[in-house]
Amino acid sequence: MSLIEIRGLRYRYAGADDDALHDLDLTVSEGEFVAVVGANGSGKSTLARLLGGLARPAGAARAAVCGHDLCDHEGHFAVRRDVGVLFQNPDNQLVGSTVEEDLAFGLENLALPSPEIARRVDEMLALYGLEALRTREPHLLSGGQRQRTALAGVLAVPRRVLVLDEPTAMLDPAGRDEVLAAVRREADHGLTVVFVTQEMDEVLMADRVVALASGRAVFDGAPAALFAERALLLSLSLGLPPAAEVGLALMERGVLAELTLTLDDLVAALQAGRP
Amino acid sequence: MSGDAANGHAAGGGGPAGEGLEGQHALGVRCEGLSFWYDEGATRIAALRGVDLTLAPGASVALLGPTGSGKSTLLQLLRGLLAPDEGRVLIDGLAAGEDGYEERERRIGLVFQMPEMQLFAATCRDDVAFGPRQLGWSAAEVDDAVTSALAAVGLPADRFGARHPYSLSGGEQRRLALAGVLAMRPGLLLLDEPFVSLDPASRRDLEAILRGLRATGMGLVLATHDVDRAYGLCDARVVLDEGVVVDAGPWRFGAGGEDALLSHRLKLPFVVELWRRLGRAAAEAPPELAAAAEALA
Amino acid sequence: MRMAIAQYYPRASPIHRLDPRCKVVAVAALVVGLFLRSSFAALAVYGLVAVAGLLLSGVPLGWVARGLRPVVWLLVLTFVVQLLFAPGPAFYTLGPLHLSLRGLAIAGYLSLRLVVLVVASLLLTLTTPPIALTDALAWLSRPLRRLRVPTEELALMVTIALRFIPTLMQEIDTIMKAQRARGASFTRGGPLRRARALVPVLVPLFILSFRRADELALAMEARCYLPGAPRTRLHPLHAHRRDAVVLVLVAALVVLAELI
Repeated sequence: MSLIEIRGLRYRYAGADDDALHDLDLTVSEGEFVAVVGANGSGKSTLARLLGGLARPAGAARAAVCGHDLCDHEGHFAVRRDVGVLFQNPDNQLVGSTVEEDLAFGLENLALPSPEIARRVDEMLALYGLEALRTREPHLLSGGQRQRTALAGVLAVPRRVLVLDEPTAMLDPAGRDEVLAAVRREADHGLTVVFVTQEMDEVLMADRVVALASGRAVFDGAPAALFAERALLLSLSLGLPPAAEVGLALMERGVLAELTLTLDDLVAALQAGRP
Repeated sequence: MSGDAANGHAAGGGGPAGEGLEGQHALGVRCEGLSFWYDEGATRIAALRGVDLTLAPGASVALLGPTGSGKSTLLQLLRGLLAPDEGRVLIDGLAAGEDGYEERERRIGLVFQMPEMQLFAATCRDDVAFGPRQLGWSAAEVDDAVTSALAAVGLPADRFGARHPYSLSGGEQRRLALAGVLAMRPGLLLLDEPFVSLDPASRRDLEAILRGLRATGMGLVLATHDVDRAYGLCDARVVLDEGVVVDAGPWRFGAGGEDALLSHRLKLPFVVELWRRLGRAAAEAPPELAAAAEALA
Repeated sequence: MRMAIAQYYPRASPIHRLDPRCKVVAVAALVVGLFLRSSFAALAVYGLVAVAGLLLSGVPLGWVARGLRPVVWLLVLTFVVQLLFAPGPAFYTLGPLHLSLRGLAIAGYLSLRLVVLVVASLLLTLTTPPIALTDALAWLSRPLRRLRVPTEELALMVTIALRFIPTLMQEIDTIMKAQRARGASFTRGGPLRRARALVPVLVPLFILSFRRADELALAMEARCYLPGAPRTRLHPLHAHRRDAVVLVLVAALVVLAELI
């Protein structure tokens, strides 16, 4: 079943001369993990906002997300209940004055009874390993802890789709690993994920990758297929995962026969090719 | 003030990175027993403890360490924005208070993390001119410094000078902020996480600019988590953990030091990790791999 | 980086456990009572209540003294002015200055009243987290909703503002250091020059704050926040029997103080 079915989506910012998204198509099935890549200004973040019901499209042939119509006034409010969005800067999305207050924020907005909020908050604290930080103030957390708190806050409201808008861009490697592990776990438990990213090794986490250029989808397929299209990658000013970058240099020197995408594959290929 | 020493090109166009910036007297810096404590309510937390460090003129050094290890504090102490609780910083052998120290301290450029957050003027030119004007240079000198700094970061003054800083892309803003520091003609450039939250293309541009600056003989200290970029840009590594220098030495393929990085929760550069995984001694590394490492850097 | 506003001293004392609404009302009653009647006897009653509360709260006296520090000058000024300018027969004259017993009494009374006033308010802020205080004020101002005052929204705004104060302080510190690294000086020259030196700090700070407000609003909407919609709370305010007891006790003491 498709949770996201979009055809011919258009969006224009107030006062802009051109559409930020033109005739965009996107289909995401339940349980799928889809990466969205593209240069700055390609419309990735705009797409993330529209999917989360945080702005209304200018128009679309079809814009169904979790059964709600994004173009519809009621629909774009209703979709916020089912689609969670995590943004880049953890500092600017923590509302609560403590970790537990922040996890409760979305549930409080749904006007759930207090005992139910408390139960759900406890559950999320345990799931995200944040129990010891329960009453810690956000500014005293590390970057990774902040972003994990923000993610737990987004998912404290039970969601059907998680949209991530470059959630690791401002984190150090340790924080990045923390957040990616949490995302991986949610995906493994069947949550549908749309992951907007600039990091090519994060693309490898996805089942499918959609590349945007000037508000249009110019590629839709497996990550390995995208990385095989050198000309397209170059025109989108995207890079390669490090293993592919080194692999490519080795291919040019005749040491490697095929492009490898991960360190494990590269090691295996080099060991197999050893005379 | 022109030369062909630079070998990097900024993607935004303009001349070779570093053009017009050569011939600056490179500074040599030494720290002796540097300690610094932060006040956190009633308790004092040691940010640095007894740091000894020598930065030769023109050296490029990667300052590595987990978050909270004291990297930013060390950079701010070197630039004199914080005063050490113990120990001292020597610039060209001079201590604070000695004749010529202040003038040299001003020539240590510090680029903060996310420096585009400090842009404030109405035009790129005015923003870059802020530092030189504070130094009391003549209008002609300021103009010259601004033009060459803008060129060095690939934002030529004729195209970008009159634009509003906030009309630039994120990557361009980062480079503009760098130009603001370069305009003060630094003899040593300290950078705090220069690549953080940039897109891949902007990271490559910035890396090319830094490579160009290094080629002019400017000393670089790169405090970063991006070990791959630091590995490509730096000849030496210094590892800080909990405010203590735990490892220092040359940083190139086969020079060792992997264990120190790993035992302090740091990642290895990709090629070093690859070679380690292959389980072979560095001396056996095929030239292809070393060349690939170069290509990657 | 501790702000005067964040002087909450966490502890598990009987005073900390009281419902914040009860504490606000009790302290308000003491303050109003203090101003309604000027007598040393009334002052003594209120002073004893404040000191008893302080002792029960278990907040170290050193911490309380820190809270009193900002009003020391006001205290000295009040005392000196009253002492010097109060009318009455002088018991000591030095040139144009004449000190009277009545002046001494007034100065002493007013200074003590100020101390009791500050201690009573400190009792509230030292034992109540800012968020609970905001919640209490929002609840107590509920009748204003009839006049279309968006009290809940205002309370959330204050909560968020409090949450961002430390972040803002860190940001100001960083921007100032960065501009100093570019040669700026915030201590050089006269007032005009110093004010102008702040431009490179204030402009980025405003831009950052606007961006933050934008992103925060988006993140709040993404978490189903709708202004005006009914909300519940993780920690709702709960009044207990002890709160009622405290209120009755305080009321009795105020009546007593006003009558003696």
